[in-house]
Amino acid sequence: MRALRWSFGGVFLVAVPWIVAAVAPGQQRYILHVLIFTALYGALALSYDLVVGHVGSLSLAHPAFFGIGAYTAALLGTEARWPFAAALPAGIAAAGLMALAVGVPMFRLTEHSFAMGTLGFALVTQIVATNWVEFTRGPLCVTGIPKPELGPLRIVTLPAFYWMGLTAVGLVGLLYHGLTTARLGRAFHAVRDNEMLASAASIHPLKYRMLAFVIGGAVAGGVGTLFASYVGVLCPTELAVSLSVNLLVMLFLGGVGSLRGVVVGAVAFTALPEILRMAPTWRMVIYGLLLLLIVIRAPDGLEGVIRRRSAAWRQPSGG
Amino acid sequence: MGDLVEPLVHGLTLGSLYAMVATGLALMFGVVRLINFAHGEFYMLGGYAFWYAYGELGLPYPVAALVATAAMGAFGLVYERSVIRTILPRTWHVQLIATLATSITLTNLAILVFGTQPKEVPTTLSSAILEVGGVRMAWQRLVVLVAAVVIFAGLEWFVTRAKLGKAMRAMSQNREACAVVGVDVQRVALATFGLSAALAGGAAALVSPLFNIFPDVGALLTLKAFAAVIVGGLGFVKGAIAAAFLIGVAESLAAGYLSYAYKDAIAFVVMVAVLLVRPQGLFGRRIGI
Repeated sequence: MRALRWSFGGVFLVAVPWIVAAVAPGQQRYILHVLIFTALYGALALSYDLVVGHVGSLSLAHPAFFGIGAYTAALLGTEARWPFAAALPAGIAAAGLMALAVGVPMFRLTEHSFAMGTLGFALVTQIVATNWVEFTRGPLCVTGIPKPELGPLRIVTLPAFYWMGLTAVGLVGLLYHGLTTARLGRAFHAVRDNEMLASAASIHPLKYRMLAFVIGGAVAGGVGTLFASYVGVLCPTELAVSLSVNLLVMLFLGGVGSLRGVVVGAVAFTALPEILRMAPTWRMVIYGLLLLLIVIRAPDGLEGVIRRRSAAWRQPSGG
Repeated sequence: MGDLVEPLVHGLTLGSLYAMVATGLALMFGVVRLINFAHGEFYMLGGYAFWYAYGELGLPYPVAALVATAAMGAFGLVYERSVIRTILPRTWHVQLIATLATSITLTNLAILVFGTQPKEVPTTLSSAILEVGGVRMAWQRLVVLVAAVVIFAGLEWFVTRAKLGKAMRAMSQNREACAVVGVDVQRVALATFGLSAALAGGAAALVSPLFNIFPDVGALLTLKAFAAVIVGGLGFVKGAIAAAFLIGVAESLAAGYLSYAYKDAIAFVVMVAVLLVRPQGLFGRRIGI
């Protein structure tokens, strides 16, 4: 039954470009564009939740890893003419190594200080991307980033990019599931819930935090690479701190530490501004207030609502 | 001679600004164990309050400065009653995200209300030049330095002599014990937020004639002030003040001799360097105002 539902869901998601073409032919480009962004945001949010939701370290450095991956791949693709198949691993590796290097001093900090330290790293990365003009072209942006090409497979059209995004979010989802269940997941949660107890049970907190941080950073770099190749232009503004805020809204809107919650959050977050058509500044005001409200009133997000509903549905007597 | 003294004076002015903002952060952390990510936005709002009082209403400088300080003090009280009081019993995750959300909301509201164009508020003192032995600086910088000394001396008196200040110090040591012996912990927390926000507003009124006011000045300022708090030893106010001056001078010298574009990264580099050598901060005391 479960497998049947999953395969139905999978077939439906893969068939979306045709469905959109059949249902709304005039709007096809726009809808696919929104869906590609949703998929990429979903993958990025999942990688972020590894750090925030599972080991409980509130990192604000994620935009930096996203940007480092994107810039590495974009510059290798445009300046050095690397093929995409080589630039993507390079972007992932660069972001992962940076996470490793930054993690060493940052994990000396705890709680608020860790958040502030990683925020500092994100700001400095953006300053470097803006000012190191000879290398990153600064505010003039890296342009003409080549489209992804994997052997005979060339990703140029919007449906192809949609399938690429879907594959990305699927792979990241599998990785997320693998890391957060079973033995490793329990170790992550032990570190998150009670650091002292975890270390008493010989679960080294730093080791697991570092693991989640580096994997999360590397995945963010990979998503950055895909993002840059899809949009074709990469500007320092993509690394802004507001990306962390967007990711936090997704996580808390959907439900921290839950695969379904984060995906629901990412979908709701990217669909919301398309419904509420408004200026970006107003949007940020609303996101800020929304985040404040969710975190105070419903810290387990939509996932908590879904879980309570389905629990009530399974026990109609109400206990 | 002037080549070295001028950046030094600039650095001390910057340091005064960072120190006033960092003091607020350290006070709040000391009393209620909460880091206010929206603290830089208090400075930003203080700057706009000063711009309105001085530039638009045309009040004389000292009055406008006091108005901005008082307005931010009131804002701090409202902030404590509305946001902080609801999140204080919650985990630090919730507290951090709530203050971060406040910061984003305030920044973007300021963009909507005041626009992204920076506001300039030059005063007669900021354009008048003081020249001593070949060293040139605006009179306003002298005002900032003198005011900073007066404010920090007043603060020292306040936390060691005044009853409310003593209560703040006591709360930074043991909140439960304070409640047991009859300290009104909620009132002290409220006063701490009022005082911290007023310090940010006062800092804005002092340096706004020298620097521009713009909506997203807050994020970097919070970061630098927090770097000072960490470098000085978390929650140790005097350490934070010393570290803030250190960061201000380092930044000013780096802007002059190394690279202007990267000056904003200096505070962070100093912080990481200190953390690698002394994770407990330069002055090594764990906690206490």
